Amino acid sequence: MDMEFTEEQRALQTTARSFLATECPTSVARAMETSESGFSQELWQKMADLGWLGLVHDADAGGAGMGNVELAVLAKELGRVLCPSPYIPSAILAGGAVAAAGTGEQKQRLLPDIISGKTVVAFALQEENTYFDARSVNATATANGDAYVLNGTKMFVEFASAADRVLVVARTAGAPPASEGLALFLVNPNDVNVRLEPLSTVSRDRQFQMVLDGVRVEADDVIGTPGEAWSALEGVIERGVVALCAYMVGAAERIHEMATDFAKERVQFNRPIGSFQAIQHYLAQSITEILAADTTVFYAAWTLDEGLPSREIVAKTKSFAGDTFRKATDIGTQIHGGIGYDESMDTSLFLRRGKQLQLSMGSTGYWEDVIADELLGPVEA
Amino acid sequence: MDFRFSEEEEAFRKDVQEFIAEEMTDEIRSKWLGGLLDTPVRQEFVTKMSKRGWLAMGFPEEYGGSGKSMPLAQYILNDELHKAQAPIVGKNLGVVVNTLLHHGSDQLKQEFIPRILRNEIQWALAYTEPEAGSDLANMQMRAELDGDEYVLNGTKRFITSAHFADYMWTGVRTDPDAAKHQGISLVIIDVPTEGMTLSPMNTIIGEQTNDVFFDNVRVPKERLVGELNQGWRYITEALTYERFAMTSFAPTIRKFKRLIEWVKTTEMNGKPMKDDPVVRRKIAHLAVLVEAGRMIDLRCVCEAVRPDYVPVNEAAMNKMWGGIVETVLTDEALDIMGPYGYLWHNGGHAPMDGDMVDDYLWAGHQRVAAAGVDLSKNIIARRYLGLPAS
Ligand SMILES: Cc1cc2nc3c(=O)[nH]c(=O)nc-3n(C[C@H](O)[C@H](O)[C@H](O)COP(=O)(O)OP(=O)(O)OC[C@H]3O[C@@H](n4cnc5c(N)ncnc54)[C@H](O)[C@@H]3O)c2cc1C
Repeated sequence: MDMEFTEEQRALQTTARSFLATECPTSVARAMETSESGFSQELWQKMADLGWLGLVHDADAGGAGMGNVELAVLAKELGRVLCPSPYIPSAILAGGAVAAAGTGEQKQRLLPDIISGKTVVAFALQEENTYFDARSVNATATANGDAYVLNGTKMFVEFASAADRVLVVARTAGAPPASEGLALFLVNPNDVNVRLEPLSTVSRDRQFQMVLDGVRVEADDVIGTPGEAWSALEGVIERGVVALCAYMVGAAERIHEMATDFAKERVQFNRPIGSFQAIQHYLAQSITEILAADTTVFYAAWTLDEGLPSREIVAKTKSFAGDTFRKATDIGTQIHGGIGYDESMDTSLFLRRGKQLQLSMGSTGYWEDVIADELLGPVEA
Repeated sequence: MDFRFSEEEEAFRKDVQEFIAEEMTDEIRSKWLGGLLDTPVRQEFVTKMSKRGWLAMGFPEEYGGSGKSMPLAQYILNDELHKAQAPIVGKNLGVVVNTLLHHGSDQLKQEFIPRILRNEIQWALAYTEPEAGSDLANMQMRAELDGDEYVLNGTKRFITSAHFADYMWTGVRTDPDAAKHQGISLVIIDVPTEGMTLSPMNTIIGEQTNDVFFDNVRVPKERLVGELNQGWRYITEALTYERFAMTSFAPTIRKFKRLIEWVKTTEMNGKPMKDDPVVRRKIAHLAVLVEAGRMIDLRCVCEAVRPDYVPVNEAAMNKMWGGIVETVLTDEALDIMGPYGYLWHNGGHAPMDGDMVDDYLWAGHQRVAAAGVDLSKNIIARRYLGLPAS
């Protein structure tokens, strides 16, 4: 039993923190809210140059071959500054799916560019329902010679307009809830038969409804074996979810620090508001939850690295980290008083992301249903 | 980073589990968190553990200890004992032995530690008074030196185990003129001693604690623990050991697992309880809170084994979260049962024979005793976050 970081993990944390402090202060998150693409290409390239996009990818694809614990270390730091980037969709989910499901040729062709930052690949799994798994997928892919033709509607596709490609999950066979029959397709978001409808989100990030209306995908861009995508995707999704949780814990830590500092400085009734027990108790409970969420995240990451059964712990981690982050942003903003709700204050950046990320990649309720399946068995009848 | 227990630790856990499987009975099982050693069978159970050397682990050989030990041995032992609702070993070891080892005279060490490690003597911890609860440093019970003896006058409240203990580990005021934290000392008193009277108080779940009245009780001055007027420091140091030993998350995990079993095997309104979507969400939410508690517990353990480090903050977090989760768990569990949730023991219809009702009634005690939720939050706010004094 040992929760210490290794030298290497500590070094990654230190580098990331100091790099992001100069290259990605929260003003970047704010600026990207009104930008076209939703992320800074320049920052993205620097992240790639630091080796972050390839952190968990194999060395022979140009990656660093690190594990989920290291990924969590990095994602926490990205979260502390609310770094806006397609890191999770492109490097972790789409890149991970290509690595897990793709043929040797596809990996060689696609991964180096994903890892070097040259290609941004968005990830399209969810549709017009609340699932974050195979049950979500109704979109169809119909064989047409070697190629496939895609029809359906994807939801919550992050960075789709700025992406070079979108990795779309569609069905070559079967129907929900079956996890068999799924396949992965690289789609050009500028294809004439793709329509991107921007979604207006509370975080003001770039998300889209993506309508696929007879989109033709050539054989080269059908990733892996059609019908068998889910077995590869499942682990990739768990990795992405844990990375998002680490991001949320980092962000929760940061808003808590901001609120604690503010409470020490802001004077009312002739004393710092941090001397009032009501304020102290909010902050004390919140930091306890954040430390518990932090330990849970690393436990989940370690579980994935060890190849142990992981569905239950991933589900618990997403529920808890999401709820904890949301609460930390809510209380953290409240402690700032009226100014906390000023649009130009960092608190408002955190408050808006708190609720959104809690509901992203499967809401708390979605994951609670997964936990119930694990603990009580599925609902019969 | 490695969340696994070592092979050696797992082997020890297996030993403990086997011991419990062989020796544990319904008579030993206790509702009281950590168990009370109030009956011969319960004491004998602990004596059997002492014969295996499990009380002596990690303590110096010159006082009957086993010398070196795995740092996590005591945690593992208590974890398993808590799961089985058996008496744990932390109460005496954590508070009395640790304090004597660090601060006691050689005479006191020789006199008490070996007998504690053999489980020959039982203890009550007597700090609380009518006017000194959370504000423990406000204790007023006077100890005045008269020749070679201290003379004690005052009242102690909620003194658990006093009705069967051999000794009382007692906080007394030795300097009424000093600042309140600086006039307190610790003394060991024989039970009974002339002038001491006990008045039982029955708790809401039927277990006993006691008021103890002191009327010119005389205690030899050799029974002073450590230095005069340094008692507050010793007490707070030891409270952290207690908070940690007593707040293992294992009892909450055990209750939660039992609830899951009940939900899985129960039909309500003609349908399996486990298929009810509201019940499923509640169980899942509880599972998350319990998992978070397990993580704080493990974090606490990792900190506690660091040499010469007392995990004050982590213990407070553990204590706080334990109180909160125990409350939510027991409340939600009874809710799920509907009107059957208020049925208590021996009526035949009560789910889990009414045990969850006890747990519900007792959850508040965890929020209050030995620095409960509010006081733990004060500790975290002041010590961990560095917020200014209120
Ligand atoms: C069953 C049982 C067994 C016990 N066993 C022992 C024992 O063996 N030995 C022993 O010495 N004591 C024992 N105690 C005493 C126990 O430690 C005290 O009950 C505890 O310290 C709280 O003190 P109090 O009951 O006087 O409550 P109070 O201190 O009067 O507290 C009342 C309420 O006010 C809150 N409060 C108090 N101060 C603050 C503050 N600064 N900030 C915010 N909230 C505050 C408390 O959290 C509580 O909710 C036992 C108690 C019980 C019920």
